Amino acid sequence: MNYIKLYFTCIKRSMISRLEYKKDTFVALFSFLFSNLCALLSIFFILQTIPALEGYSLWEVGFFYGFSMIPISLDHLFSDEFWLVAYRRVKEGDMDMYFLRPVPVMFQVFAETFQPEGFGEMILGTALIVACSFNITFSVSVGTIIMIVVASVFGAMIITSLKIIFSSFAFIFKDSGPLLQIIYNFTNYAKYPLKIYPKFLRLILIFILPFGLFISLPVDTLINGTYNPCWISLAIIGGSIAFFFLAVLIWSICIKKYESTGS
Amino acid sequence: MIELINLTKEFKKPIRGKGLSGMIKTLFSRKYEVIEAVKDVSFKINEGEIVGYIGSNGAGKSTTIKMMCGILNPTRGKVLIDGVEPYQKRKQIASKIGVVFGQKTQLWWDIPLIESFKVLKEIYQISDKDYQERLQFLFDVLSLDKFLSQPVRTLSLGQRMRADLAASLLHNPEILFLDEPTIGLDVLAKQKIREAIKAMNAKYKTTVILTTHDMNDIENLCSKVIMIEKGSIIYDGPLMKIKHKFGNIKTLVLSVNPDLDIGSVAKFDGDIDIKKEEDRVDIRFNADKIKLESVINYAFSVLKATDMKVSDISIEDVVKKILSEQEKGK
Amino acid sequence: MFKRYKPFLRASAMDLAVYRFNLIIWLLVTVLQMVCMVFLWFSVYRSSAGGINTIINGFNYKEMIVYTVFTTIFTFVTFNNETLWLIYSDIRKGTIGNYLIKPISYRGKFIAGAIGGYLIMTLMFGLPLFAISYTVFGLIGFITIPTWYDLVFHILLFLVAQFLAVLLNDTITYIFGLFCFYTSSGWGLNSLRATLTSFFSGTLLPLAFFPPVFKDIVNWMPFAGLSQNPILILLLKYDYLSCLKVLGLSIAWIIVLELLAKLIFHNGIKKVTVQGG
Repeated sequence: MNYIKLYFTCIKRSMISRLEYKKDTFVALFSFLFSNLCALLSIFFILQTIPALEGYSLWEVGFFYGFSMIPISLDHLFSDEFWLVAYRRVKEGDMDMYFLRPVPVMFQVFAETFQPEGFGEMILGTALIVACSFNITFSVSVGTIIMIVVASVFGAMIITSLKIIFSSFAFIFKDSGPLLQIIYNFTNYAKYPLKIYPKFLRLILIFILPFGLFISLPVDTLINGTYNPCWISLAIIGGSIAFFFLAVLIWSICIKKYESTGS
Repeated sequence: MIELINLTKEFKKPIRGKGLSGMIKTLFSRKYEVIEAVKDVSFKINEGEIVGYIGSNGAGKSTTIKMMCGILNPTRGKVLIDGVEPYQKRKQIASKIGVVFGQKTQLWWDIPLIESFKVLKEIYQISDKDYQERLQFLFDVLSLDKFLSQPVRTLSLGQRMRADLAASLLHNPEILFLDEPTIGLDVLAKQKIREAIKAMNAKYKTTVILTTHDMNDIENLCSKVIMIEKGSIIYDGPLMKIKHKFGNIKTLVLSVNPDLDIGSVAKFDGDIDIKKEEDRVDIRFNADKIKLESVINYAFSVLKATDMKVSDISIEDVVKKILSEQEKGK
Repeated sequence: MFKRYKPFLRASAMDLAVYRFNLIIWLLVTVLQMVCMVFLWFSVYRSSAGGINTIINGFNYKEMIVYTVFTTIFTFVTFNNETLWLIYSDIRKGTIGNYLIKPISYRGKFIAGAIGGYLIMTLMFGLPLFAISYTVFGLIGFITIPTWYDLVFHILLFLVAQFLAVLLNDTITYIFGLFCFYTSSGWGLNSLRATLTSFFSGTLLPLAFFPPVFKDIVNWMPFAGLSQNPILILLLKYDYLSCLKVLGLSIAWIIVLELLAKLIFHNGIKKVTVQGG
């Protein structure tokens, strides 16, 4: 079974569907850019009132924010359908067809939707990074460059894994949308240097909801050389593999509980 | 070959209180009622058979079908498709079966029909040659070419059903499950669907299980009929036997003058069952034994009917008859 | 109308133990997020020029933390966007036709739903949560307890403000829901609505932080009455005259927006009937 070819066939179909809804696509894109703008403005307003945040300048905080959008946007491109699964599809019994096809259900969920909005997010994040970097001194090396790439790609994998885990719960709870939403919102708090938070929060944001692992720590290292980039890279790769296995495991357990609605 | 062995499915429904106080009580209580949708069902279906699976609403048809497809787990008992239990070896079974659920579509709503087919071709790994051949066959038998490039959301119900049927047959499944495929369709559309099913069965020896409320579907297609009522099988045998037992029973519903006195008019020369209530008269008779023409004549000339509707025997009637037969037998 | 109200009230779809588990995780995560917010503000204040006791835009760090916690509880208890999704599914399924004949009861059923939900949430969660947090904050000195009659009056005004916020939010959500007529999209509109609401209602950060010109504009917008104003009333940050002013503003907005909604509804209905559903 050529899964790559199948994936591209499905994505092509997803794009054709999307073109049917031009107005909706436009609204969604606009609303998404707007929400990012509002978030940035909020931070900007707050930071106006203080000289620096725990020693981090306005530009550095902006860089944290901008970089966080990279793994988030990568994940957004591929795993958008999981939101629908969590919020609606299991509850409405709209998953039956997936179970009747000779292809793994998880693959079909990934292949259902490709979300080009993610590109918008990526561009915004990159623009922010570039704009802020003029006022920051970095400790760059080959290691840090690799670390940033690793953080972006494998960090995205971690976000995807978390999405998979919490949307699997829909097979048990029938609606795990709000729960998934809340977990995802944690990314908002990982966009800052972890120094702000007390130790227990830092541990949670590194090990349990590891947004800090691939956002805060790498950026901190890039700017201040706080940690060894090789260790960070390895930790991120290890974490993403671990989370991915966990996600596949939980998903497989939960879909066994899936039952079509009776009548 | 499909085999059901003592298949049982129970659902737990929480007993929900009414109104606000009831709802809060539900949060804290754990009372459930157990609903037995399918009770101890056993039957066999052989390769190449077209079987009608019928029963009144809520009898357990869809529940059984879903267990046979593997998307519902039995509480007890099992389903075997060529010796494999579908809910356990889901992917293995998926390539062998095709499913059409009357209410839901497996096609993508907003894209041209042909694009949906292209995706299905990849999913089922259909070879180019097989794909072309089958597409041609389905075009001919279902007249798809007329709306092939239209988005599914713009199709009429009849067109959509034909499209769904085609989609389910694209990969040449050994077994086809049809859950109410002709519901809501006009006579012409139903005809097309039936012909397509017959053609597929003739050419590819596809086993077909279809649930329906329309006796005509059964008459046209099925050699064998399985009837389910309140979760239990009440009949499993050839269609011919049912027909011979109950014959071709028709019902005439007439509008008459409410003052008409049935007892005083000339009696009909033949065995008919006639009932009057206010301005409505129901006449039941066996159309094999008595000519429809004579009854209609009687209705208009003697009873002075002002309006008339003719119906064939309904599934519900057959169910009632079979149940009453069983009662008598006891 | 009480039917599908917030995830936890969907007990009919879940086993009780499973529902409890879901609720616990949800609460844990919400509390955790609130804790993160609190520490974020701590950091901000610690980093400010005058140290942790600086007053930034009229709030010292204690008041800021109280504001944050109260806002979290308030938005959780008071708001839901079910209205928008109900309209969206009406349009998707085509059942909107049923309501073409009775425009009044269409709007009415959403108001009833919103009020019903808010009553349940307030009784089940709002009252206990507010009571507990107020007491705790009072004990640790984050809030100065006023005279009893000031407290009572402000609580009453707060309740009025909360009620108005529910109505206002439902009107705004309804208007966004009506735009589904034009764009046939639910998600994008809801996202926009959520962003506008959270940004301009003082949920993300108190409106006092907005730069001078914007601050005035934003305080006149309807969103301010959705979250910031009720909370500030409760925190005694408004004197009585200002309380009445903001309540009056909310009422005015409700009237204006309801009229706007009616207009959009009639316009949208025309469009739907032209399209043939």
